[in-house]
Amino acid sequence: MSAPLLKLTGVTKRFGGLTAVNEVSTHVDAGEIVSIIGPNGAGKTTLFNMISGVLPPTEGRIELEGRDLARVAPHDYVRHGIGRTFQNLALFKHGTVVDNILVGRHWRMKTSLVEAVFHFGRPRREEIAARERAEEIIEFLEIETIRDKVVGTLSYGQQKRVELGRALATDPKLLLLDEIVAGMNQEETEDIARFILDIRDELGVSILMIEHDMHLVMDISDRVHALNFGATITEGRPAEVQAHPGVIEAYLGAKAAAARAEPAPLLKARAG
Amino acid sequence: MRSGFYKQTIAEHLALTDSWTQRAWIAVALAALATAPFVLDTYLLTLVTLMMITAVGGIGLNILTGWTGLISLGQTGFMVLGAYGYAIPVETWGWDPLAGFLLAGLVPAAASVLVGIPSLRLTGLYLAITTLASAFIVVHLVLEFPGLTNGASGIFVNRPTVLGWTVFTDQDLFRLVAIFLVLTILGALNLRRSRIGRAWFAIRDKDDAARVMGVDLRTYKLYAFVASSFVVGLSGALYGIFLSFVTVDGFPFLLSIEALAMLIVGGMGSIAGAVLGAVFLVGLPEVVSMVFSAFGDSARALLSTGAHEVKGVLYGLVIIGFLRLQPEGLMGLWRDAQRVWTLWPLRY
Repeated sequence: MSAPLLKLTGVTKRFGGLTAVNEVSTHVDAGEIVSIIGPNGAGKTTLFNMISGVLPPTEGRIELEGRDLARVAPHDYVRHGIGRTFQNLALFKHGTVVDNILVGRHWRMKTSLVEAVFHFGRPRREEIAARERAEEIIEFLEIETIRDKVVGTLSYGQQKRVELGRALATDPKLLLLDEIVAGMNQEETEDIARFILDIRDELGVSILMIEHDMHLVMDISDRVHALNFGATITEGRPAEVQAHPGVIEAYLGAKAAAARAEPAPLLKARAG
Repeated sequence: MRSGFYKQTIAEHLALTDSWTQRAWIAVALAALATAPFVLDTYLLTLVTLMMITAVGGIGLNILTGWTGLISLGQTGFMVLGAYGYAIPVETWGWDPLAGFLLAGLVPAAASVLVGIPSLRLTGLYLAITTLASAFIVVHLVLEFPGLTNGASGIFVNRPTVLGWTVFTDQDLFRLVAIFLVLTILGALNLRRSRIGRAWFAIRDKDDAARVMGVDLRTYKLYAFVASSFVVGLSGALYGIFLSFVTVDGFPFLLSIEALAMLIVGGMGSIAGAVLGAVFLVGLPEVVSMVFSAFGDSARALLSTGAHEVKGVLYGLVIIGFLRLQPEGLMGLWRDAQRVWTLWPLRY
């Protein structure tokens, strides 16, 4: 079997005396949807920041298709096929939807500073090609009607969708989604769930997502990785992780976990 | 009520104009520039020439401050470099003025890399202070090398002959400056719609996200410095030609403040805003002096003794007023007016 798409080996991040992520090892195979769950402060976003090059790990290896990313410059992670969205919106708020998505095409384009002043020949051809790709993404995400709106004026759910589009525009092999449905209503969440499955099935992009919405996690993940205090509790199929005593304890506290004779599914009310 | 202009091809999306009305207005503006030298008297012609030179500088600063979000108080320094970059080769060494104009852009652009590199990790106030220091360093360097720069006495600048066209009269100078302004606007608009311009906006709005999208922050911040200084340098050279004289005293530090004020008054991040801001700030003292003269001799005397102070106070008031009441500047006012015009009598 070939190397997994993403492989983490003993990844650790310390901020001074605080160990935010402690010896996390996991992998994402091509075509998988993997979720990372854990209570607030478990180190999920720190882990994402390391995988996307925003923060360097203190220890451990991050490999993409067998290549160590340690020596890759932060802005070059995208060239290796890592795209991401941010936990709190990180759009370019004065730009339109199209502008934002086009920034995702940035690394694919080659126009130099001097060429850009003239907008003639290559810059023009390149710009048209980038727009065509952006339009495909806009169509895929069904945001045609807001195409020319300034993103600062859009609703939260729409902005999240634009951010997803911007990440897709980078042509990722692995897409990191940081709480993409947080703050969304049921309908918006279901739309996003459908998009995530389509991104995997139609575009062939593997997905690693941080998610608090257990319903979404359980429904669409192939595997779930549970963190608490920066360390792995368990990893496995959604149902196994959901029933794991350590996970229940992390979410509900030791007492509540002990009170349950039978490990019941988390958030049973919603899942039912 | 019109609902918009619909586009069917991607080329239409890329076009700088999206309607015949817009094209008609541009034609009117160009016609006005072309006929102005025949219509305006010397006083007004000189005033508009100065407005246009200022607008070129404003557009230059806008690349750095309005688009990339990096505040610079070093405009004076880059203008001085541009002015000397033109004056020394053309007047002292007898080079062709075209080469002079090229150097007027390239010299400040190269210097901006030197200023830019240590400034890359700084933002906001710290960057403003660093660039401020660079402006003073430039002035000192000019005074320290009198062999090249003629020191404090400065260099006399003749009106140039460009491609066989001798710029001699005030009308000619107006045309030369107008050509530079139009070219600057075109170049800036092209930059804005390119990947470079988008990378700058991205850095301004969210630099972390920009980096994840593959924008190398250091490179693109340096690009912004270089492009901005190139244009600002050109305005410095034009200003030198306008004054017929290049000396460090011709570029007081107040110019840096004026440049920022222009962007705030016009509307940060917009080319039209930079132009409007230039028109407003250059025109303001003239309008005020007219008002003062209307109040009689004593008021006029006050203005003539304290012109500099009155100007400073006015700029201060205008900046405070705009920041407080209309942070999007004149462009914001214009957009509001457009909205009211299209939607009236409805409010939205």
